[in-house]
Amino acid sequence: MDLVRDVLDKKLVDREQCDMGRASGLIMQFGEKTQPHITHILIGGPTLWMRIHPALGRASEKLARLWGPKSKEPVRIPWSHVETVGKDIKLDVVAKDTGALDWEIWIARHFIERIPGGGHEEEE
Amino acid sequence: MKKILQITLGIITSVGGFLEIGSVTTAAQAGALFGFQLLWAIALGTICLIFLVEMSGRLAAVSKHTIVDAMRERFGFPFFFFVLIGMVLVAFLVLIAELGGIGFALQILSGLGFPLWALPVSLVVWLMMWKGTFSLIENGASLLGLVTISFAVAAWKLNPDWSSVGASLLPTLPEQDKVKYGYLAVSILGASISPYLMYFYSSGAIEDEWDRSYIAMNRVIAGFGMTLGGVLSICVLIVAAIALRPKGVQVDTFPQAALLMTTALPRWGFYLFAFSMLFACFGAALEISLAIAYFFAQGFNWNWSENLEPSKNARFAFVYTIIILVSAVPLMLHVDPIRVTMLAMALTSATLPLAIVPFLFLMNDPIYLGKYRNGWITNSVVGIVVLISFVLAIISIPLQIFGG
Amino acid sequence: MDLNVELLVGTTVYDANGEKVGRIEEFRVEQDGKSCRIESYLIGASALVERMSAWTLVRPIARGLRSRHVLSIYEVPWQDMDLSDPKRPRLKIAKSDLRHAR
Repeated sequence: MDLVRDVLDKKLVDREQCDMGRASGLIMQFGEKTQPHITHILIGGPTLWMRIHPALGRASEKLARLWGPKSKEPVRIPWSHVETVGKDIKLDVVAKDTGALDWEIWIARHFIERIPGGGHEEEE
Repeated sequence: MKKILQITLGIITSVGGFLEIGSVTTAAQAGALFGFQLLWAIALGTICLIFLVEMSGRLAAVSKHTIVDAMRERFGFPFFFFVLIGMVLVAFLVLIAELGGIGFALQILSGLGFPLWALPVSLVVWLMMWKGTFSLIENGASLLGLVTISFAVAAWKLNPDWSSVGASLLPTLPEQDKVKYGYLAVSILGASISPYLMYFYSSGAIEDEWDRSYIAMNRVIAGFGMTLGGVLSICVLIVAAIALRPKGVQVDTFPQAALLMTTALPRWGFYLFAFSMLFACFGAALEISLAIAYFFAQGFNWNWSENLEPSKNARFAFVYTIIILVSAVPLMLHVDPIRVTMLAMALTSATLPLAIVPFLFLMNDPIYLGKYRNGWITNSVVGIVVLISFVLAIISIPLQIFGG
Repeated sequence: MDLNVELLVGTTVYDANGEKVGRIEEFRVEQDGKSCRIESYLIGASALVERMSAWTLVRPIARGLRSRHVLSIYEVPWQDMDLSDPKRPRLKIAKSDLRHAR
């Protein structure tokens, strides 16, 4: 398997087939003599903007503190939750519990549901 | 039987949805200024569009990815983001032009200036997106757009010299005004080969759950639908050439364009033109708004589907809401939609490589398409036309800006 | 030590003698149960092309240009890569000892 071709930027899907964004980044752990291995998948936010330019990454972090859902860290999914890697990456998690949908829920509550006909996000 | 119905519907919606302010304005200006001479540009643009639309459908049917999905996955986020910025900026300009087209149509029908119509029009477009489903939007708007067939009726009634028309399918250079000619050729190509159409078409194929069994149907729809649409564009040019050119009318302003049909159809021409622009631009505005929202939603893998209620795909709904409302602002400030249209069409041509080159790479990728990859003919046709558009754009846009 | 894989992509790699080798374009991994271990790194100009699976379009052009540079991809086993400075990855061996990936 190749990381850039088969994992990075692929769609992530949870246990219930819910879309939860894309693999924006991967954390690799390595040591002097130990074989490097992937520990986490990163989703969204500053991770993405860092790939274009570090300054954008820092700006995105600052903006996220002022506005939007209150989660401070980028969403990290341990690699142990990966079930299969194919057309998309199937994860053994529930999307809402990971924080991957925080922005979606925040925009739904603060904007969409306030407009007539917007409907309501499902209650848990 | 079901497939035949789907093919028929597909062709009809392609025809009804083909014309919009870009194709009408550029074809009308071309006819009014150069007679039949720029017919080749419409033909060339349409041929390229047929290939591009077929490719969009094939990618979706075989790989179950939209173009944007595949582009993000294959080329990574930084490249995707770069294309996103370019495509969204140009599409946004086209959206302003389409809303302007609706406003203009209402202006000539009601007498009230288009800036007054800008906000109500954008609210109606938004409401269709908010409450409508994908099939309602795709089919409803395009079926209404069938009124644009009146351009074909007008062209036929004006009895053009068909051998001249045929001869003009080969490019010739004009005696004077070469810069304007080049600029118009670029704009026509940009109007015909609109990238937002590709993104919309591939998203539609996914919304309609196409699979490999749809490949043949896709070819038929792309081939016939776009050809007939291109014929309609050609009819607009013919009508302008016969009705407006002898009178020296140049179609720089919308009221001049309104005279297009009155020569051929004195009683109904004015209303047919107004309603043609109204419905054609309305359909286009919906498609572009959807295409922009799809670009974001697919690129970032948010929930996206026109068939879901807005709160179930909040970010997708948020994007189209913002775009549609913001695009009304320039019009409220009296920015001229015809100017925006010409600029948007030329910029589309100039940025075509940004949209098409990654797409061509994807269409040759065995991982996505397996044995359904592009053949050398498709690669060559698309590659050459895009190269021509790009080179023409690079040459003529600066000349037009500094000369005009 | 932790680092972000996506930020390593495209970083230029130098060999043990300081000679430029190419850019990191791909990471070959082995999935074993719930772990994902890096086996090797693909480096070079055309690793990018391979990643984009664009050979059908590029090969005729490269052949025409007789570009040997475009066609070189190196596969570097994980043991031979020193990532202690992620901004300047270094090989522990010389370029001449590298294996071509294709």
